[in-house]
Amino acid sequence: MDDMRIVERTVNTKASKISAKGVQVHYGATHALKDVDVEILENTVTAFIGPSGCGKSTFLRCLNRMNDTIPSCRVDGSITLDGENIYDPRVDPVRLRARVGMVFQKPNPFPKSIYDNVAYGPKIHGLARTKAELDEIVETSLRKAALWNEAKDRLASPGTGLSGGQQQRLCIARAIATSPEVLLMDEPCSALDPIATAQVEELIDELRASFSVVIVTHSMQQAARVSQKTAFFHLGNLVEYGETGQVFTTPQDPRTEAYITGRIG
Amino acid sequence: MTVFLLLCLMLVLAVAAFVVCRARALALSGGKIGVLHSLPGYYGWHGAIMVLLPGLAVLLVWLVVQPMVIESRISATLPAELTADDSARALAMADVRRLAAGLDVAIAAGSVTVDASGTPQIAGSGTMREALAEAGVALAEDVSPQILTAAQAYRGLSATGAAWRALAVLAAALAGFALAVRMTEPELRARNRVEGVVEGLLMAASTIAILTTVGIVWSMLSETFNFFSMYPAADFFFGLTWSPNFRGDSELGFIPLLWGTLYISLISMLVAVPIGLFAAIYLAEYASPAVRGWVKPLIEVIAGIPTVVFGLFALVTVGPLLRDYFAEPLGLGNSGSSVMTAGIVIGILNIPFISSLADDIINAVPQALRDGSYGLGATKSETVRQVIIPAALPGIVGAVLLAASRAIGETMIVSMGAGAAAKLDLNPFEAMTTMTVKIVGQLTGDTDFASPETLVAFALGMTLFVITLGLNILALYVVRKYREQYE
Ligand SMILES: Nc1ncnc2c1ncn2[C@@H]1O[C@H](COP(=O)(O)OP(=O)(O)OP(=O)(O)O)[C@@H](O)[C@H]1O
Ligand SMILES: [Mg+2]
Repeated sequence: MDDMRIVERTVNTKASKISAKGVQVHYGATHALKDVDVEILENTVTAFIGPSGCGKSTFLRCLNRMNDTIPSCRVDGSITLDGENIYDPRVDPVRLRARVGMVFQKPNPFPKSIYDNVAYGPKIHGLARTKAELDEIVETSLRKAALWNEAKDRLASPGTGLSGGQQQRLCIARAIATSPEVLLMDEPCSALDPIATAQVEELIDELRASFSVVIVTHSMQQAARVSQKTAFFHLGNLVEYGETGQVFTTPQDPRTEAYITGRIG
Repeated sequence: MTVFLLLCLMLVLAVAAFVVCRARALALSGGKIGVLHSLPGYYGWHGAIMVLLPGLAVLLVWLVVQPMVIESRISATLPAELTADDSARALAMADVRRLAAGLDVAIAAGSVTVDASGTPQIAGSGTMREALAEAGVALAEDVSPQILTAAQAYRGLSATGAAWRALAVLAAALAGFALAVRMTEPELRARNRVEGVVEGLLMAASTIAILTTVGIVWSMLSETFNFFSMYPAADFFFGLTWSPNFRGDSELGFIPLLWGTLYISLISMLVAVPIGLFAAIYLAEYASPAVRGWVKPLIEVIAGIPTVVFGLFALVTVGPLLRDYFAEPLGLGNSGSSVMTAGIVIGILNIPFISSLADDIINAVPQALRDGSYGLGATKSETVRQVIIPAALPGIVGAVLLAASRAIGETMIVSMGAGAAAKLDLNPFEAMTTMTVKIVGQLTGDTDFASPETLVAFALGMTLFVITLGLNILALYVVRKYREQYE
């Protein structure tokens, strides 16, 4: 772990953005998440780490109610965004998802042009009044996602024609184009080469200025590089949650230590 | 030996070959399957195929060739006055065959016996015709001695033929058997050979489908050419009047029929496409699994109703309803059968077709695309409109075009719902008719296959074929062009 550049961690004073208490998730009879408590702070990058199948994606999907689309899924407990329970029946999941954006584990560009992929969110939320404004949003989003140089000459060609890594960056651009308050990223770099990964990490660090970012990753180095807070999940339990530096250097739980030193996973 | 028995015997041989070859391969492997090129089962199948393929091939050839040989031999022995020309010869040969078949039945029934030399004897008293009638074989006239002799010869040749046939087939099968056993060596590429045969079988199946289409087109083409040699093509394609009669001054312009066909199809598509599509979207995107489990089969029940029942529905319900509540109050006529009636009912017929196809196509749109859209804060209807329908569009267009060809080809509902009057009219509450109805109309009843009034049916059929073929090609093209969108 020598190569970790542990970023300055002045997060203790930040306000809580999302607060999850006693979250339980069942898929039919499978108990996927057991009693998870997490505070996601404003202007902070929070990393979720843990072995495959431990429930990282599941928890991420709870935060913008994407689990509503899975009929067998049941979520209990409370999750609040700015103090408002997002599972309250009065909350419109559609509005919620506009505030809590998501980048999925597998790239899923729409079978539309690159431009239309990025413009999709701004259009449905009415973020641009003129074509020029929309062009502006598309360009800045693509630039932030480190895709502008590759895509600027082929904005009209289909997004599905890009390579896997480019598609993932397109999905990132699509998500940030709606300027959400929280951005959930499920392994956004798993299909990217080191250069693009570095660019996306840089982007995540920039985004921290305006959003909260939650990132799921299998790379300890990445978690250590980009995040200020780290949550370690294991078999559906939140084992440890704390400041990234502390989790990686002096883990409290033997399971965390075993995982980050590569003994379980 | 009958063909059925022969097939059974070959099947037994094939099973034996399977067992023997498989066992031999296993024995040769000495317990280590790895030394064999293929799994032992493939050696078994190889053996079975080596029995069946030559046996069936010989049988097939024999079944085709034997009747031809016998016919030519028998007709050579018939007296010259019976075989004066081709049609007389065909008539006489038909008599011979019928009598030979009758004799077989009568002998089996016991009303005719066979003496030592194989000559048939009438068991009771009376004529051969009565003896045959007793066995349930009716002949138009009594049997002439020449025909009787020929029939006897025919039966004799057939019997010897059948015996040789059995011998030849079994010999081929056994030779195959022996060869298969000899060939069963560890190096034999049994799997490749078996898969080659499987591929050949699949290819034969698709070839039959294609050949049938070609055959249909061919049979229509020649009659269509006959028609155009009697009736000018320009009058057919551009004529505005359809009034066939058998006095020889018919006007056979197909424009009114084309118009009726297109008008009725258009109305039916206006009914079927929105309803079918909306039903599919509801089922695929909105309905809970429980509702879906009920509604989908219920909608599909419509697809199982015979079209003649729909025709009745058009005739007794929709037609009068439209006449009494729309056409008459609006002053648009008082005809019970109308373009509207047939169009609506054909539309109803096509709803499950479109909804079922579109439902499958919408379901095939990956969930990841929906998630992507919902994750950006899109509502359900925005997702359906902007992501799912565009992604599913090629398939939906294909489904719609297929439904259109069905609407164009529909006959029963049109003849019961829209009538049989060929008219060029814009009023949808008028009776009109379509090409398919006229095809049936021109071919039923007293027909003379040398008059243009009858042959026009083939020209209509050919035109219809070309129109629906064009639509299908268009559908294929659309689907191909956009298929790769989300893969
Ligand atoms: N749609 C679903 N239906 C049923 N079970 C599910 C579903 N999605 C996830 N699960 C189960 O929930 C558990 C957690 O899955 P989840 O996808 O959250 O894991 P993960 O931590 O994201 O793993 P990975 O790192 O491999 O992405 C797993 O046991 C999985 O089998
Ligand atoms: Mg995951």
